[in-house]
This record gives sequence, structure tokens and C-alpha cells, in this order.
Amino acid sequence: MALPLSSPAPCFAPSPSPPKTPPRNSFLITIPTPHRRRRCRHGAVRAAVAVDSPSAEGGGLRAETPNVFLEVKDLRAVIKDSDKEILKGVNLTINEGEIHTIMGRNGSGKSTFAKVLVGHPDYEVTKGSVVFKGENLLDMDPEERSHAGLFMSFQSPVEIPGVSNMDFLRMAYSAKKKTEISPIEFFHYLLPKLEAVKMDTRFLDRNVNEGFSGGEKKRNEILQLAVLEADLAILDEIDSGLDVDALQDVAKALVGLMTPKNSILMITHYPNLLDLISKRCFVHIMEDGLIVSYYQELHIKNCCRNLRSSFPVLKYELQSPTLEHFRQGSS
Amino acid sequence: MAISCFSSSLLPPLRFRSPNPNPNPKPKTLAPIRASFSDPFVLSIAEKLEDSLPSSSHPSLQTLRSLSSQSLLSKPWPSRKDEPFRFTDTSFLKAAQIVPVSSSNPSANHTFDSPSSNLLVVVDGHPVPSLSRLSSIPSGAFVGPLSTLPPGPALDRVLAVASSEFPDGDLFWDLNGLGTPDVVVVYVPERARIVDEPLHLVVCSAEGEDVGSGRLPVSNPRVLVVVEKGAELTILEEHLGIGECEGRCYWANSAMEILIGEGGKVKHSYVQRQSSNAAHIKWTFARQEAASTYEIVEVSIGGRLSRHNIHIQQLGPDTVTEMSAFHISQSNQIQDLHSKLVLDYPRGYSRQLHKCIVSDSSGHAVFDGNIKVNRYAQQTDAGQLTRTLLLAPRATANLKPNLQIIADDVKCSHGAAISDLEEDQLFYFQTRGIDLQTAREALVFAFGKDVITRIHYAPLRETLNSRFKELLAAK
Repeated sequence: MALPLSSPAPCFAPSPSPPKTPPRNSFLITIPTPHRRRRCRHGAVRAAVAVDSPSAEGGGLRAETPNVFLEVKDLRAVIKDSDKEILKGVNLTINEGEIHTIMGRNGSGKSTFAKVLVGHPDYEVTKGSVVFKGENLLDMDPEERSHAGLFMSFQSPVEIPGVSNMDFLRMAYSAKKKTEISPIEFFHYLLPKLEAVKMDTRFLDRNVNEGFSGGEKKRNEILQLAVLEADLAILDEIDSGLDVDALQDVAKALVGLMTPKNSILMITHYPNLLDLISKRCFVHIMEDGLIVSYYQELHIKNCCRNLRSSFPVLKYELQSPTLEHFRQGSS
Repeated sequence: MAISCFSSSLLPPLRFRSPNPNPNPKPKTLAPIRASFSDPFVLSIAEKLEDSLPSSSHPSLQTLRSLSSQSLLSKPWPSRKDEPFRFTDTSFLKAAQIVPVSSSNPSANHTFDSPSSNLLVVVDGHPVPSLSRLSSIPSGAFVGPLSTLPPGPALDRVLAVASSEFPDGDLFWDLNGLGTPDVVVVYVPERARIVDEPLHLVVCSAEGEDVGSGRLPVSNPRVLVVVEKGAELTILEEHLGIGECEGRCYWANSAMEILIGEGGKVKHSYVQRQSSNAAHIKWTFARQEAASTYEIVEVSIGGRLSRHNIHIQQLGPDTVTEMSAFHISQSNQIQDLHSKLVLDYPRGYSRQLHKCIVSDSSGHAVFDGNIKVNRYAQQTDAGQLTRTLLLAPRATANLKPNLQIIADDVKCSHGAAISDLEEDQLFYFQTRGIDLQTAREALVFAFGKDVITRIHYAPLRETLNSRFKELLAAK
């Protein structure tokens, strides 16, 4: 198991600014001692920064040792058939039950990062490693990544004329279960999921995303996430193009799906959604193909205020008209 | 009256390639002159066809035969130099020894079933009443061989329609007219409806030869449909080989002529699933009077050489025409659709969708879709879209969508796309855990289903969907 950077490591460090913990140490210290966690939470923040990894304490109040879900190390990727490097050494660790957010300007590589994680054929990884639940993600085909529990919702999901939503979902679910699920059996499985995302059964007869409104497309992505019960959901701008009500619906649906066991990686320009979800989260800032900083476990309002002062590049985003209350809070 | 409109609108005749530069050729008078230029190959087929038929036929058939043979004389066997056959290789027919099917056997050994209560079976060109069952035909309507149509206004009307000329008909149209043993007549009188229990027409070939034999039995089924003012007809036309014919060589050279009266509606589903070694050449010639509706949905999956010619002529304003076609070309298959829609009156509405899958390197798809919007066809709304999926390296498609617009107040659109499956769509499937193979199959299936769902009768639609699935699985 790849646990070298799992959170307990810094707790054992003698000082608040330890040297990079060599991976071999982590094996020694993963033996859990249940009382230590709470005590060293705050110290751990800094420590984790030093090893380029958020610690598990973000998941926070749970008692068991968190599992590392995703560990990205020095990930570099280029657009295939051109040497244009988009990702220039991304590091990121996501533990079980955590919510992470990547923010950053357009063109900073956020969406590319998401696509590389799910194996988009347009990109080629040139360096680095991605370990998902102990397995090398880069060796897997996109469908294997999905079976392993990785899900990505697309920024603009493609329309698939002629394939009904029902058939598509059943195909996906059957593939995950590695056995053909009968339509009736599947329908019983599906009904509560539909309720969870507040979708009408009529959605099922429509072709996948064909003629869907922006909000419907996003909700359809959440429905797929619900059906596949992914461990780690990458949501690429799940909030873009939505009006206030639709955003609320999406947020509610997401909250409904969240369990202590699954994690979310959100890519967004606006912290509204985080606010609606109102859970602790890690905020990463991406700039020119690199994650340049991250904030951990901050309350979202504070988070935004800090972001604004530290990163002028984000000023525009954080001052967008939809964020009235953030503006007021910071002025 | 409608018929006179038709002929006047098409003067001068468009075809009749003439070796002498006569500016005003009149086909009938010139035919004897051109006899000297006749193609000996065509003549020999014509002679064989004539010999195979009983001389004591119905008088109206005699008229059809003499008209056809006259027109035939001026037409050589098509070569790749002729525009309509530029991409369609008929040398396979020319190399074979073409023999008419033996006229004796309207074989009753086969049984047919149809989910509809109106079934008419045509075997090797002969309508076979013993295999047919026409239990819910409204009174005044007639479905059966022309030779059994009793004298009366219906017969007169049918004969008048049958004797009108079709200047755009090619050699195969004429061969059919010459060689057909009897014409199947479908006559729907004013305001009658054959819709809920559609007319299921099964046109099959029972006589075939082994692939290596070099012999090619030809049959010439012919259907004439007359739908009078305000009447409605749903017709399902299925072409296939039966019994020992499956997998063998034969040539079905069929033709259907349709006249739709004012305000009439015809929904026409046409399914071609001939033997993989068969040649299938088919004409559909429809004429639409004012405010009439004609919808044709075609699904062609069989045959080694399959050619469908559609010619739709508008005879009055406010017509609605919808054409949809779905073809699959697998190994050594040519699927060819040549369609022509001629609009001469205002406010016509037409939509055409052609979809084709070429799934093998030796498969070939041809489409020539012509829409002619003439001077008086103002406020026409015409749309045409053709999409082809090439799923194998070196698979071939020749598409020629074309709109000829003379009127100046019209709305016309057209589009053509030839591609493999969309990468984005495939990737979307993959990210949801569905492997590439399954994703491709689902997308290919969806591509064809789009047209298959337009078939006008649910049981036939289901059958086709499952056949299509089998075809995809067999690859």
C-alpha cells in the first residue's frame, strides 16, 4: 500500500517544521495510536505543507486512520502530438472522506489535471506518478479507473444521440458489477438515486444529454455519480452555467451523496458551491500547471479572504457579482 | 388532370441519351431508329424476359410491356461512365448469365406470417393469393393482382395511372415493366384508411442459383399504389430471399409506383434484407398531389449489390415529403441510394435523412440525393442530411447530396458528414466504466436505431432492431 505521505507522519515529528519525511518512516508510524490525532492537528498543517501534502486531519473528526485515496506526485503532462506541457509537476494527496477544491485562472491546467486523472486520450503523462487506492492509475484504461472508483463529471458533458439515459446508466452499472443487470432490477436500484438528485423518471427515456439544459446536464452527471457510487468524484466546474436554484439543487444532491467514505475533488472558479455544501475542505490554487499553495480546513469565508489577499490573480473570481457577501466580508 | 400537370411540367424529357443531336427528341417516334444502337446484352435479356412470359396476358399488361420495350431499346447497359452509375459497379450482373425465373412455381410450400391482418405475398414477381390474407381491407379498396381487378372506376383509374410515362425511369425500370408477370395493385378509395392494420407486402425470391454457377435468375415484382383524395395508407414493404435462396445468387429487380391524391397520406416502410449474394435493384416512383403526405423509411441491410432509386414528383402545392434511409454495407456489399425529389409547386416541405454504416474494408456506400426546387416552388422548406460511419480502413463512401434551386424564396438546408465514431462520445462511455468495444457497439446501434425507430409499425421495428443487433454481434 502506498502510505508514505499519509497523515500521521508529521505528528511524530519533533518540531513543527520537520524535514521531508522519508517514505520508509511512514511504515513505522502508521501503527495507529488513537489518542494522538486531535492533539497534533494544528501542528500538522504546517508540516504537511512541507511535504506537499495535506494531512488527513481535514477529514477531521473521525477516529480511524484515514486511507490515502489519491496520491499524485510530480505529475507532468503534455498535449499529445505537441510538446506543449500543461501540467508541470503537480503534487496532491487526497484522503478518504475529504473534500478538495482546485481553483485558479482559466488555462492554469485545472481541467487538464482532471482529464489526465481519468485518462483522457488527448494528453500524455511524461513524468510523475498517480496512485489511486494503492494502484498505479496511469497503467489503467479509463474504464478500469472508473471500476476502481474514480469518477469525473464533465464541464460540458457530450450529447449521445440514440442512447437513452436508462440504457446508458444500466450499461455503466452492469460494467461496474461485471454482470448484466436486468432492467427491472436496475430500475429498483435507480429509483432512490433519482430521488436523491431530484430527477424525474422521464429523464431516463431521454437520450444522454441530448437537448438537456445546462442544469439538467450537471444533474445528470451527479446521477451517474450516484449510480456508480464512486469513491473519488472529480467535479469539473459542476457549478458553471447554473442559476442560483440549480446550484442549490446540485449542492443538495452532492451533500446527499456524501458519506464519510468518499472524497471529492472539485474544480471551480466560485466558492459558492463550497459554501452551500458547507463542509470543511482543502483549497488548492493552481497556476501555470502547478499547485502553488493550498489552504486547509479553513472556513470558507476566511478562506476566500485569505485567498484574495495572497493571490491577486484570483481577485476577479472572488469579486464576481455572485459573491456579494464575500466582498462585503473582505472590505 | 393531375397527370397532365405531371407530363407538362417535365417537358422536354430529360433522359434518352441520343447519339444524334436532335434538339427535340420524341422518345416514341425515335425508338425504332435507335434500335440499331441497342445494346445486344440488354436485347438478349429483353428477349429472354419476353419469352418467359405467357403471351395471353391482361391487355393492360400488354400496354405496359410494349411501352417498356420501346423505351428499353434506347438504353444501353449502364457503365461507370454514366453519372447515375459512376460509383456503382454493375459488372457483376453483366458477367452473369441472366435468366428469367421459371414462371411455373408460385410455390406454396412456404408459410408467412405477419403481425398485421393484411398480408400480401409476392413470390418471384407473382402475387400469391393463397399465401396472403387480407382480412381488414375497407370496402371499395382493392389489394391484389391487376389481372383480377374487376372492371369499374377503380380499374379505369388504375390503368390511367399505370399508363402514364416516367421519363426518368432507367433501364431497370423498363426491364421491370417488360418482365413483370403481373402487377400488384393497391387501391385505396377516397377517405378510406388502411392504417391501424397496415398492409404488409412481402416480396420474396424463391429461386436462386449457387454462387459459382454463373447463372442469375431475375424476377420483376411490380407494385402500383393509388391512394385517392383524403385516403390514408400505411404500407410495409419487405424484400427477402426465402427457402433455399438464402445465401444464393438471384436478382430481384422490383419497382413500385405510388400516386397520392389530394390530402392523401402514405407511410411507407421499406425493408431490404436479401441474401448476401443477391442483387437488388429497386425503383420507387411516387407522385404527390396537393397537400398530400408521403413518408418513406428505408432500412437496407442485405444484398451484394443493392440499389434503390427514389423519384418523388410533386403534382400540387403544400405537400409534405419525408425520406429516411439506413444502410449497412458489410464485406463485398454495395448499398446505393439515388433519390430525387422534384418540387414544382409552392410551399412544399421536405426532409431527408440518409444514414449509412460501412463496416468492412470491402464495403461501399453510395448516395446521390437530389432535390430540385423549380421556379414555381416558392416557400419551399427542404432539408437534407446525410451521415456515414466508416468503421474500417479503406471502407468507401461516395456521397453526392445536391440541391438545385431555381425559386428565390425558399429555405433549404443540407449537410453531409463522413466519420468514424466520435472520440468524445467513446471517452464519455469509458469514464463511466464501459469498455471501448461495448461503447462502439452502443454508438453504432444508436446510429442506426435513429432511422429504424421511424419504421411505421412497432412489430416490424422490433424485428429490425434485433436483426440489427445480431448483425453487429456477428462482426
